[in-house]
Amino acid sequence: MSRSKGASLFAFCLLLPALLYITGIVAYPLVETVNLSFTDAALKPVTKWVGWANYEKIFNVNFSTIIVRTFIWTFFSVAIKMIIGVCAAVLLNAALPGRALFRILLMPPWIVPMAIGIFMWGWMYNGQFGMISGLLQNFGITDGPVAFLGYGRSAFWATIITDVWIGVPLVTIYMLAAIQSIPKDLYEAAWTDGAGRFYRFRRITLPMIVPALITMSMLSLIATFNSFDIIWILTRGGPSGETTTMIIDTYKTAIGSYKYGEGAARAVLICLFLSVFCFFYFRTVSRISSGDIR
Amino acid sequence: MNMHTKLLAGVAFALIALPGAASAQDKVITALFCGDTMQPAHAEFIKTWEGNNPGFKIQTEVVGWDQCQDKATTLAAAGTPYGIAYVGSRTLKQFAQNDLIVPIPFSEDEKKAYFPFVVGTVTTDGQQWGIPVAFSTKALYWNKDLFAQAGLDPEKPPLTFAEEIAYAKQIKEKTGIAGFGVVAKDYDNTMHQFLHWVYSNNGTVIDDAGNITLDSKENLEALTALRDITAFAEEGPTSYEQNEVRSIFLDGKLGMIQASIAAANRLKEANKFKWGVTNLPLGPSAKGPGTLLITDSLAVFKGSGVEEKAIEFGKFLTSPENQPVYEKQEGLTPLRPGPAVDKMVADDPSWKPYIDGISFGGPEPLFTDYKGLQNTMIQLVQSVVTGTAEPADALKKAAADLEQYK
Repeated sequence: MSRSKGASLFAFCLLLPALLYITGIVAYPLVETVNLSFTDAALKPVTKWVGWANYEKIFNVNFSTIIVRTFIWTFFSVAIKMIIGVCAAVLLNAALPGRALFRILLMPPWIVPMAIGIFMWGWMYNGQFGMISGLLQNFGITDGPVAFLGYGRSAFWATIITDVWIGVPLVTIYMLAAIQSIPKDLYEAAWTDGAGRFYRFRRITLPMIVPALITMSMLSLIATFNSFDIIWILTRGGPSGETTTMIIDTYKTAIGSYKYGEGAARAVLICLFLSVFCFFYFRTVSRISSGDIR
Repeated sequence: MNMHTKLLAGVAFALIALPGAASAQDKVITALFCGDTMQPAHAEFIKTWEGNNPGFKIQTEVVGWDQCQDKATTLAAAGTPYGIAYVGSRTLKQFAQNDLIVPIPFSEDEKKAYFPFVVGTVTTDGQQWGIPVAFSTKALYWNKDLFAQAGLDPEKPPLTFAEEIAYAKQIKEKTGIAGFGVVAKDYDNTMHQFLHWVYSNNGTVIDDAGNITLDSKENLEALTALRDITAFAEEGPTSYEQNEVRSIFLDGKLGMIQASIAAANRLKEANKFKWGVTNLPLGPSAKGPGTLLITDSLAVFKGSGVEEKAIEFGKFLTSPENQPVYEKQEGLTPLRPGPAVDKMVADDPSWKPYIDGISFGGPEPLFTDYKGLQNTMIQLVQSVVTGTAEPADALKKAAADLEQYK
């Protein structure tokens, strides 16, 4: 056996456990889901092949509205997380008094188990017992209780705010690391030339963290698009379906209504969207690695 | 391998193999119960049953209410069912039509022993598919202190839909506190609460022949009354489910609610204000006091290999001797009438409306796709209480939608 063949075999042996693992827990379920999406699988023991019927059905039951809502929900959630995350990272990087305390205060949303955090927000949004409604009444801003989860629009924004609360710490830490990796001499040179704080941020910080910004946005986009717990715990997709996103609809169809075939078709569609996001993510990472994005 | 190693290996093998060998002698009946913990009464009965049935072991699993139903269903669909599982009776038709459960033989005497309609909640096509294990009816609670503050007679609860709406209005206008608790969140009890209005007005959702009867004069009156009372209900009813509305009432911030006997127990504990409990007010088409009759059942799944014994176990658990112990522990409406129930009502008159309502009550409608039914009914209620649809239009649409789920 030649030396290069031996090296290849060794590399393959190292990869084998991971390959088997991925085949078992990713590839097989994925193939099964695609297969299921072409059947009428439900509670009955016998299933039959139905071709594209499940996919046709998806678009007959206002699924396009749900797709649009999912994109809007994801867009605002990611955008707000990125804006707050970058601002918080800049502040935590600055030589402010109490910076250590702010860094500690940033962590709870990330440390607290997600379900507990969401339940806490659920209580805060409660119209009768909730803190937000109580404060609004005490300050005379509203006449009576406000049930934030009782109306489509406010429930939609309430779920976004909760998602932002949970997601901001990770973005902040990531962006803080990116900011701290910027060479200090750039700032010193700019300062010597009389550049102000905002100018330094605009011309040094922002351009230098663009790769991190893009990477984090892509990762956040993938995670947020698939976000289930927040909406399910707070609203279950209601009221009147106003907070139903693709993943909630998929769960309701497959697990809630036991229409496994139709649910699988929805899951495949989500998978396709996420694959597109992942493609752009890996392309971006590759361009950053090759120095195309600086 | 030296002697020491052989000995250790032998001991290890014995430790692994022996428990398996011992348990292999017993036939296991897996049993799913819903809730946070195993109810002491059931735990006790299981021990007794195992003692009376050597060679059989009940392996229990307790799953939270939210996941319980889905877990039983998913495992059955996957071909690895529980032997017996606690399920909402509304699911039985779907299970039966998908060949997942076995029918339960009931003698005429066994059927007669139950309150009217209880057996109906587990019957499809003349066959029983579950053993009733829990029964729930509803009554109207009113806050006497709020009634007095609003200038209403605190000892005179509303008897009709019209009075109920008028009282709710007066409470809201005079005290600033919501007069009635409307339940309209994306939960199954939104449908249940509406069905109390339906059955208090002689309405139905589906008839014995399987025709959808939702779009009827009786149901229009019920839905219109619900729409009208929403104007005097808590703010944003689509964000509250039944227990949350009960919490608001217990806090003294609602004039009236429809609730189970559990509310009476909590009100007694809290002792925060004077209250009363009475029959649900009647609609203009009512023939007598009605309520939705909800039962949960023990369903015996096909393919466990111990179906007959599982039926025997289920019947033992819910026998006329054992069931009252469980009902008392859980505060459930009794499944069967009898001297003990008469005594219970005499000792605690709070129970009276819960028993009265049975005579003109109606079961949870049995549909092939009960989740489809539930979602349609929730959508119906939400569209009306949020003002996005008129009751007549919403009923027409819901009735048409229900055709696909029956």
